[in-house]
Amino acid sequence: MRECLSIHVGQAGIQIGDACWELYCLEHGIQPDGVVLNSKKDQLENAEMEHTNASFSTFFSETRAGKHVPRALFVDLEPSVIDGIQAGQQRLLFPPERLVSGKEDAANNYARGRYSVGAGVIDLVLEKIKLVEHCGGLQGFLIFRSLGGGTGSGFTSLLMEQLSAEYSRKTNLEFSVYPAPRISTAVVEPYNSVLTTHSTMEHSNCTFMVDNEALYDICHHKLGVERPSYANINRLIGQALSSITASLRFEGPLNVDLIEFQTNLVPYPRIHFPTTTFAPIISAASAYHEEPSVSDITAACFDCSSQLVRCDPRLGKYMACCLLYRGDVVPKDVNAAIAAMKSRSSVQFVDWSPTGFKVGINSQPPTVTPGGDLAKAQRAVCMLSNTTAVVEAWARLDHKFDLMYAKRAFLHWYIREGMEEGEFLEAREDLAALEKDYEEMGQST
Amino acid sequence: MNDTSTLDVIGRRVEVNGEHATVRFSGVVPPVAGLWLGVEWDNPARGKHDGSHEGTVYFKCRHPTGGSFIRPNKVNFGVDFLTAVKNRYMLEDGPEEDGKDQIVIIGNKPVETIGFDSVIKQQSENKLNFPSGSPSLTGKFPALKVLVLNRTGITWAEVLQCAPGWPVLEELYLESNNLSISERPVGVLQTVKLLDLSSNPLIDENQLFRIAYLPRLEQLILSDVGISSIHFPDAGTGCKTSMFPSLQYLVVNDNQISQWSFINELDKLQSLHALSCLRNPLTEGDSGGAQTTRQFIIAKISQLKTLNKCEILSEERRGAELDYRKAFGNEWKKAGGHQDPDKNRPNEEFLAAHPRYHSLCLKYGAPEDGELQTQQPFLLKNQLLTLQIKYPNQVDQKVTEKQLPDSMTVQKVKGLLSRLLKVPVSELLLSYESPKMPGREIELENDQQSLQFYSVENGDCLLVRW
Repeated sequence: MRECLSIHVGQAGIQIGDACWELYCLEHGIQPDGVVLNSKKDQLENAEMEHTNASFSTFFSETRAGKHVPRALFVDLEPSVIDGIQAGQQRLLFPPERLVSGKEDAANNYARGRYSVGAGVIDLVLEKIKLVEHCGGLQGFLIFRSLGGGTGSGFTSLLMEQLSAEYSRKTNLEFSVYPAPRISTAVVEPYNSVLTTHSTMEHSNCTFMVDNEALYDICHHKLGVERPSYANINRLIGQALSSITASLRFEGPLNVDLIEFQTNLVPYPRIHFPTTTFAPIISAASAYHEEPSVSDITAACFDCSSQLVRCDPRLGKYMACCLLYRGDVVPKDVNAAIAAMKSRSSVQFVDWSPTGFKVGINSQPPTVTPGGDLAKAQRAVCMLSNTTAVVEAWARLDHKFDLMYAKRAFLHWYIREGMEEGEFLEAREDLAALEKDYEEMGQST
Repeated sequence: MNDTSTLDVIGRRVEVNGEHATVRFSGVVPPVAGLWLGVEWDNPARGKHDGSHEGTVYFKCRHPTGGSFIRPNKVNFGVDFLTAVKNRYMLEDGPEEDGKDQIVIIGNKPVETIGFDSVIKQQSENKLNFPSGSPSLTGKFPALKVLVLNRTGITWAEVLQCAPGWPVLEELYLESNNLSISERPVGVLQTVKLLDLSSNPLIDENQLFRIAYLPRLEQLILSDVGISSIHFPDAGTGCKTSMFPSLQYLVVNDNQISQWSFINELDKLQSLHALSCLRNPLTEGDSGGAQTTRQFIIAKISQLKTLNKCEILSEERRGAELDYRKAFGNEWKKAGGHQDPDKNRPNEEFLAAHPRYHSLCLKYGAPEDGELQTQQPFLLKNQLLTLQIKYPNQVDQKVTEKQLPDSMTVQKVKGLLSRLLKVPVSELLLSYESPKMPGREIELENDQQSLQFYSVENGDCLLVRW
């Protein structure tokens, strides 16, 4: 029951998926070939594993042979990244029918991902989803993608439209890699991001954003990694994700479900872009030097530098906050910490949302990938907050879009694939309306 | 809650308003009535005196302002271990029940916890934080793998004393204990894989020899200890030391390393794969910038795979080693190095400063002279050839010198010379000879070609006839 299907689209989505399934397997004691560690060998060691066996069926399905297969689908329009998975460490974990790749990629072009090349692959993907989907009670889909790429933007828009049509009652949660303000990987990122945000706005229930610049800074300053690579960054994202989905996979005193997230985080259907923050982020070389208490990690969450998206929450107001604790956490400490936070002047809530905090507690402590940069902490928290400050991120993106669109730069690549200028204008207006909506939220009634 | 039976209060760890201290004395201090506790603070500036009051010495402190007298009721002795756990987890149920069972199985003697009373029980890992000054603790922890004793004021001797009770200990954290390694661990701590000795400013390099023979030690964290040099006396330049045989990951951030000799010594470690060396004077200084420092470290330690948490790919290693070889090529030549292996005898000083230079030359070949020339900036004046002009047919004409760009065509050269010598252009015949090829004269017959075409170089000699 309550299964979740993860769909990883495009290079970013697939690489994040690689890191996060690696972490899930470590947490559940599943080896890279899908087999659980033999619990008969050492009763004491794996007593906890038996406990958790029942709950991980949300993310893993079990075959007759005793192998655990992740409920995940990896989709890309060109084969190289998926081949990387098939040659990598976790090749035995993912059966070949879960890895879908096309022949020709989207070339950073939303139009190609959506219309020309994407249209050829979508039917195959929907078929695979149908096959995977026959489980007891599918809760919803978790979609991982980047906003700036071609497949991540174009193909995901197409996919989400179709999913909405076929599985209208299911939740759609997105994890999007937002284009970083000062670090770009593609010139046409603003176009792709604006177009895809417009298309998926009505189909997605909640979109969690992360951006590369914030992650690089965290790796550099807090973890002492001189030159972070994507592997370092993806592991961080994996930790945040693991905290978000921990309630679905493990027992805990205060569990939070997928639907509960939305109910508590999304005040209006269009205002569904929470920011993600993770604490504590301690380097492995300073393990145990500080023993962050519950109030320490809660305070760290409200600090700009622990955020996984570049935006300054002090410039905005919080509409809702979801604090997901895991590890050695007692409700007494949590209440004290939250009370302390509420009394802080830098944490401002909107008038119409006075209570604002949703808490989830899970007893499973955070696990770290061996050889990774994070130290193993006894308790961790992931905060999802819906703040009006995120409009800053959208404003930046819109500004860049305007600069390029004013000169119709790079537009012919999209027109050539069958798009029209009208779509650009429509998308831009939708985002302008979104910005207005956020502003209205922040105003006092 | 406060247990003030005077007999066993001495040596106990206490806390007053967030500051930690150790009780050193308990009794009456005349002329003031009542029971006083004499404590030595962890923070040496916190106290008022060094244990003596009005002339009488009640207890000794390490620091003249390290001690104070406090009333027992102002002091927090902390709570009994079991009580602390029960207080904390009383409201929890479910999996924590297993946790409590674990306590009974291990059979702890009641241990005081001060400050860090967070305890986690997992099936195979027990992380206890317990204080110092309890040499009475003789309980065995047969499954204990990770022990965290940060900021407890424990001394090395006490660690070794308790160590027989931790037969399978793998990770030992002793940060900020002001400790110095006073003796070699014999028969204990042999399974330790990770040792964290950060922020213990009394540690110096000589003490490191005392832990050098722990057979399984894989990770050593020495951040912020003030170390500035290291030396393995049992290995000469270019050899491997037998100390720290399994050490794979060394962390020396926030220290006082300012000499490259430190890095050179690290190359002697047999198994070193990963190094973190941030925020040291060596790496922070401007000597060439951060990139060059990184490259030098890579080149100096041959088997390093990860530096400052970034993997060193083989292209990066290759680039770093080639650059290193080129950068010090001139110094090597000055010190007596030579491309010809028979003549290659760099002096001792050079070898000590660059122990890997020889193996780099073997790997990539000795640096060529052409490589070692410093690049001249691209100014026009650097592109000019200085040529001597001789007039072999005219006996009385003196040899002149001119600077000409190498892109100048022969026709233009003739024009220049004709104006100079008042000889018509059509009568001039040019050729040149080079000191590199004595005896050979090369004619510059094609007027349209440039001097560069004829490979005229700096220092050559133009011969003009008419």
